[in-house]
Amino acid sequence: MSTRHSSRAWIYGYIAVCVVMLALPLFVSDGYLLNKFARYIIFGILSLALCLSWGYAGILNLGQAVSFGLGSYCMAMALKLRTIPIQTGGGVPDFMSWNNVKTLPWFWEPFHSYAFAIFAGMAVPAILAFLLGWFVFRARVTGVYVAIITLAMLVVVNLLIIDAQSYTGGFNGITDLTTLKLFGIAFDAYSKATYYLAAFSLIAALLIGLAIIKSKTGLVMQAIRDDEMRVRYFGYDVAHYQNFAFCVSAAIAGFAGMLYTLVMEFASPTFLNVSISLSIVIWCAVGGRASLLGAALGAIVVTGVQGSLSDSPKFLDTWMLIMGALFIAVVLFLPKGLVSLIDIFEQRFRKQAAGGGGPLTPTALPAAAPAASELRQDEVG
Amino acid sequence: MPLLDLKGVRVEFSGFVALSDLDFAVEKGELRCLIGPNGAGKTTALDVICGKVQAVAGRVVYAGHDIGRLQEHQVSRLGIARKFQVPSVFRELSVRNNLDVAYSKRPGVFRNLGNWRRADVDDGLAKLAEFVGLKEQFNQSAGALSHGQTQWLEIAMLLAQDAELILMDEPTAGMTAQETHKTAELLNRLKGRHTIVVVEHDMGFIKEVADVISVMHQGRLLAEGTVAEIERHPEVKSAYLGSGGIHGA
Ligand SMILES: Nc1ncnc2c1ncn2[C@@H]1O[C@H](COP(=O)(O)OP(=O)(O)OP(=O)(O)O)[C@@H](O)[C@H]1O
Ligand SMILES: [Mg+2]
Repeated sequence: MSTRHSSRAWIYGYIAVCVVMLALPLFVSDGYLLNKFARYIIFGILSLALCLSWGYAGILNLGQAVSFGLGSYCMAMALKLRTIPIQTGGGVPDFMSWNNVKTLPWFWEPFHSYAFAIFAGMAVPAILAFLLGWFVFRARVTGVYVAIITLAMLVVVNLLIIDAQSYTGGFNGITDLTTLKLFGIAFDAYSKATYYLAAFSLIAALLIGLAIIKSKTGLVMQAIRDDEMRVRYFGYDVAHYQNFAFCVSAAIAGFAGMLYTLVMEFASPTFLNVSISLSIVIWCAVGGRASLLGAALGAIVVTGVQGSLSDSPKFLDTWMLIMGALFIAVVLFLPKGLVSLIDIFEQRFRKQAAGGGGPLTPTALPAAAPAASELRQDEVG
Repeated sequence: MPLLDLKGVRVEFSGFVALSDLDFAVEKGELRCLIGPNGAGKTTALDVICGKVQAVAGRVVYAGHDIGRLQEHQVSRLGIARKFQVPSVFRELSVRNNLDVAYSKRPGVFRNLGNWRRADVDDGLAKLAEFVGLKEQFNQSAGALSHGQTQWLEIAMLLAQDAELILMDEPTAGMTAQETHKTAELLNRLKGRHTIVVVEHDMGFIKEVADVISVMHQGRLLAEGTVAEIERHPEVKSAYLGSGGIHGA
């Protein structure tokens, strides 16, 4: 099984997904449907983000929804501030005046700027991830303990947000937002513009992810997933690599959260609850956690099917069963997810095309050892 | 001044003394064999050098650096490579990628972000794979290799790492006589270019490669000398009593 997705089938897979995604609005003009599809795509980005940390670096982050939720709140704060003149006319958003807050808290101030909000939507989750990662990875915490710590973090952040009602809107979240307008484009939740924003964001996330996993950094991440201890003896600071994957993943999830606010038109503490976090793990595992494309498709397919069934509540209960069964089946029979079918088909095809490989023979020792001195010649800059 | 110098090193595992007052020095360019009965502390001695375990007393000095408190990656960056007793390669990665990971002159995260697959590196890695007889398996995952092939992959990884000091723990375990001979040949070729410490049980192999042998027993150095001297050494003989003698250990 190849760890590098450089084979042709994979390239076609990437291209096909991008083309279908971009061509969709040519056939669908219903705003309600576009909004739905945009949501699935955003979940795809979220799942891809987990794939980077879990699938490639072996860090099972059960607190991924923290990043998603924080990104979502950052966007909502910026959009909420613009409603003040219409909704309250005072200096604070409506929900704050209901809570008797008279002046805007200091941390809301910079969100008057969209540029800051968009930056913060990625930077805040990344910084939080960095701080947590610093302690966790320095201390060489691994495996299931990372999952438990990140889950605990999720619960804490969730409670803090609900608790600070006068600053965050508490249980209700931040609602009644204005529409984002950037570069003369209005990103209305039901518009093609918002759909395209989500689609291009997924493509960008795929490209960024590919750039990382195809680099040597990505290779070392995979080596760490395989045998963390061994990697250290080659001089790599494992904690740095883990924290890098963790932070990039958080930043991408934060970006997905910002988009989610645009399509949902509110931010809510439910965006960072345990069930979203667990869903991300399921999407990623079903699609294929060792593949960025697989993880993204996993989210789109699972939430897509779920969405089309959700109109009838009777089906929704059954859906939870189907989903559970699907998850177990994939984990048992296709540990690399649905997307590994591509590899399987391709190998079948190759085997038919060419015969089997030759037998293994020990080769004689060549006269001169091609020691690393030969490798050393490529040391540039 | 020796390249590697252990002085009075003591290692404990929750009370159990694995190394007690160990003195061990290796000169630059030397190939040193480290032998001793099972449980003598040979593996632990390598562990304390490469930062896997830490000494509670004594000093570990490498090329003038006190490395006793350094982490594994810091020791590695000073030029020390390690091969483990149980072959450990990255089973999910291809042979090529295993070698690529081992070729770690620049270990920084951000530096390696800009480090993409390059043809010249590929060529070098392919030559290494060919050198250890893994040309056919170059793009196969390492998990599919046989035990002997895994040993060879790990040796190739050491070559890719190109460290000044190489610590090998039982490199010929599980190898055929022919492969053992090939390993001895390889070590003889590396002699002088690298400083090597080999832990081994196979006396035939040791005779092929060793200049000086160090014998450990119960966590300390028992004797040091040439093969002939060690074979005659009365204390070494008694240390191996009950384990079938030095040749049967
Ligand atoms: N992590 C550990 N915890 C507790 N005891 C340990 C640990 N590692 C080694 N030991 C003990 O320390 C002693 C020395 O072990 P070590 O592995 O260094 O011996 P060795 O000389 O390499 O033996 P062998 O020839 O069997 O490989 C043994 O008695 C072993 O049981
Ligand atoms: Mg041992």
